[in-house]
Amino acid sequence: MDPFSSAAIARQTWELENNIVTTTAANDNSAASDAIFYYDGAAQDAFQQEKPWANDPHYFKRVKVSALALLKMVVHARSGGNIEVMGLMQGKTDGDTIIVMDAFALPVEGTETRVNAQADAYEYMVDYSQTNRQAGRLENVVGWYHSHPGYGCWLSGIDVSTQMLNQQYQEPFLAVVIDPTRTVSAGKVEIGAFRTYPDGYKPPDEPVSEYQTIPLNKIEDFGVHCKQYYALDITYFKSSLDCELLDLLWNKYWVNTLSSSPLLGNGDYVAGQISDLAEKLEHAENQLSHSRFGPLIAPAQKKKEVRKTITFASFIT
Amino acid sequence: MASSSSSGLTFKLHPLVILNISDHYTRIKAQSQPPPTSSAADDAVSSQPPPRVFGCVIGVQCGRTVEIFNSFELLYDPSTHTLDRAFLEKKQELYKKVFPHFYVLGWYSTGGDAQESDMHIHKALMEINESPVYVLLNPSINHAQKDLPITIYESELHVIDGIPQLIFVQSSYIIETVEAERISVDHVAHLKPSDGSSAATQLAAHLTGIHSAIKMLNSRIRVLHHYLLAMQKGDLPCQNSLLRQVSSLLRRLPAIESEKFQDDFLMEYNDTLLITYLAMFTNCSSTMNEMVDKFNTAYDRHSRRGGRSAFI
Repeated sequence: MDPFSSAAIARQTWELENNIVTTTAANDNSAASDAIFYYDGAAQDAFQQEKPWANDPHYFKRVKVSALALLKMVVHARSGGNIEVMGLMQGKTDGDTIIVMDAFALPVEGTETRVNAQADAYEYMVDYSQTNRQAGRLENVVGWYHSHPGYGCWLSGIDVSTQMLNQQYQEPFLAVVIDPTRTVSAGKVEIGAFRTYPDGYKPPDEPVSEYQTIPLNKIEDFGVHCKQYYALDITYFKSSLDCELLDLLWNKYWVNTLSSSPLLGNGDYVAGQISDLAEKLEHAENQLSHSRFGPLIAPAQKKKEVRKTITFASFIT
Repeated sequence: MASSSSSGLTFKLHPLVILNISDHYTRIKAQSQPPPTSSAADDAVSSQPPPRVFGCVIGVQCGRTVEIFNSFELLYDPSTHTLDRAFLEKKQELYKKVFPHFYVLGWYSTGGDAQESDMHIHKALMEINESPVYVLLNPSINHAQKDLPITIYESELHVIDGIPQLIFVQSSYIIETVEAERISVDHVAHLKPSDGSSAATQLAAHLTGIHSAIKMLNSRIRVLHHYLLAMQKGDLPCQNSLLRQVSSLLRRLPAIESEKFQDDFLMEYNDTLLITYLAMFTNCSSTMNEMVDKFNTAYDRHSRRGGRSAFI
């Protein structure tokens, strides 16, 4: 079909220009691409014994998430609405990469007392892992994920302490945060993968990663702990069958793409963001009047905020 | 064995189920056939027919609409052609805790076509759900086909040779997505760069998506147009049912004309313009602020560097 081929050419040119590193899964259509799905129990055990992460807090640098795990996590996060939800991820490790093959939800709703909730969830987790193993999923639990509806992908104080505990007793362990509200409003998946530094470790000064707007009431929590963990690069992979199915699926849901309207779904969220921005501007103004050097610090941050609102506005129009 | 279903139920399938089944199949296949790098005797192994996987689908049924949301794996005993019942119940309990609204709607399997032995499993599942659905995924990758290799079967009691028998009949289904599902499926399908989050790439990605969707719409309309032209010329036999559908579709355009809609639409439009205006304002004032700072630095009379000003 003619439009198909020109669309395909356009997409490929775009991919080339943007240096998209498609994992070999997408390009190779031999059995080698699906090799990632093979679980080598012996190799995993050997890796566990070795514990190369014990000496280097910055050991794990990348995360590969399977298409299925991503879909499950995003759908679960969105189904929670404005309540934080959490779940666990299963997978394995490969050198300095943590591979997430699957995810499942836990029957607890996140509140500030999340540490207690984990005790309830243990029984569920054990049951689920056992049944899964019987059904052919041999991977171990390799991390946990939870959602921050509307306030960005970062680790709060409680998250940081939970993760530090996890990294002491359940290595290798990964923390993933998803923001379903921002995902839907931006049309792009908001996800972040983190690992904490052990207590007392001073990280080398890394450049600040991509800036994200954080609501005023959470910004203190963010600032206090933001140096205690680092973000890992996330890439996605899918099997050859997945590729095929997803391509064909496009034939069916293109209608949904056209008919989706970010405005209707996110009116409240956008209004909330605008009022939050207004508060921050007032805050900055107050700072200005208190100190002479206020104007030097505040505008840099304001500029970035403003840039974000402009992208927002361009989306909703 | 498969003819059109007449039960009148509409089926909605979520992409999550499709990915679940595909993942299950790929996993089992990968475990039974170790990766090519491990041994040289793999050629014999890879020529085996791919294993069949089985599982259960869960979802919600409201009236005549059956919506399949999720699925999980089941254990299959090939000697007795039955599914492990205890396992199913255990798994069902676990899923009930997290998704209390979902019920067992049926089962799934992979393969080319529905087989005789599948009826045994279907009957076993009828104890849990009176009329279960059977979702079949064909894992053989065929690049020529344009349609999803998934079929949904229902069971119907037909009288064949004087004996009432249960046979599988095919049903049509539509793909239903929640907004979040659509975005993540889109994201993975096109493997966009995960760290290109600047405004430009985000907007570009968004527009690319819309552009492809519009292209699709355009091509579909063109196909219809050619078909109608051919019918008019007489190349193709006139199909009145199709003509009726097309005319009813055309009569529905323009879609919404009422005054209330116009009011609401204009209100939303005004709101968005207002916000854009506000954003532009803020940007302007910030740029102005920056310019003033730069000006002050360049022409600073109270400079501590002894009156040296930089001209650029």
